[in-house]
Amino acid sequence: MTTMDTGERRRSSDVRPVITDLIDGATVLSIAEEAWIALVGEDEILVPIPGEPPVDIVSSWVDIVGPWTGSVVLTTGRGTAEELSRALLREAAPEVLEHEDVEDAFGEIANVVGGNVKAALPGPSGLSLPQVGNAPVVRNPVDVCRVDVVWRGEPVSISVQGALPPLPVPSPTRENEVPL
Amino acid sequence: MRALVIDDSRAMRRIVSGILIGLGYEVRDAGHGREGLDVLDEGWKPHLLCVDWNMPVMDGLQFVSAVRSNPAWRSVTIMMVTSESEHTQIVRALAAGAHEYVIKPFTADAIRDKLALLGLLPEEVPAGVPVPLRSSEQEVAL
Repeated sequence: MTTMDTGERRRSSDVRPVITDLIDGATVLSIAEEAWIALVGEDEILVPIPGEPPVDIVSSWVDIVGPWTGSVVLTTGRGTAEELSRALLREAAPEVLEHEDVEDAFGEIANVVGGNVKAALPGPSGLSLPQVGNAPVVRNPVDVCRVDVVWRGEPVSISVQGALPPLPVPSPTRENEVPL
Repeated sequence: MRALVIDDSRAMRRIVSGILIGLGYEVRDAGHGREGLDVLDEGWKPHLLCVDWNMPVMDGLQFVSAVRSNPAWRSVTIMMVTSESEHTQIVRALAAGAHEYVIKPFTADAIRDKLALLGLLPEEVPAGVPVPLRSSEQEVAL
């Protein structure tokens, strides 16, 4: 994500919401389930249990910029991303899926999930175009709401993660400090 | 009836086009607003524009404004089909000249219901005839 320096100085007393103050895992799961049923298929079920993470993974994500700034990231194995793309395209899927087809379809799923996550957050916010590749790094482990699911036996994670590093922790007042 | 589907996602263009074709529409598509304007500039006259919001080159809101500023295209019906679901964004789109707003994910039935409301359901498709389904629907009551 591209960040902009707004020129504003932060004070240690500034409060910035983390994602778990704004949305919970159940809501993220519900949004993902809705998107899956609509895009992938009526009978497609997301089982909310963590699966063994695959070695060869790929992520698709959209960025949200607003009162809360971060990304909604879908991560799964490359084979699963291809299977998801086929399911989304259904009868319109070409016999041989091109890399661009997978990027496009997998990205669109992130776009739909991300758009609905954005709607659940305080606004107004902007939504980026979807991207596919290596997921953005988690900059503040506290500012993450992650849901792990299994789809057709394969693990998929949906992570709503902040783009900003943690704010500095204010120094405790030391009342009994002896001046030197 | 003719429809132009404008979305930067080929997958979504295929899905929306498939629904409209199932309803009896002749469909063309474009990958962003500028391409959509190019199709209209050719003289092809759709009855319906299905427009995504977030697209490169020219986004959906810019496209709607461009269409509405051209008297030649003023009569065309515009339906936003997008994952932008903030109330303020919906109001902006409608203020710019869109007639209807469908939030992704949507069902084929939701599209058909909207078209029926707009009087744009081809007569040869009687109510109750199934079209390729995408289940689950989100609509915003305005």
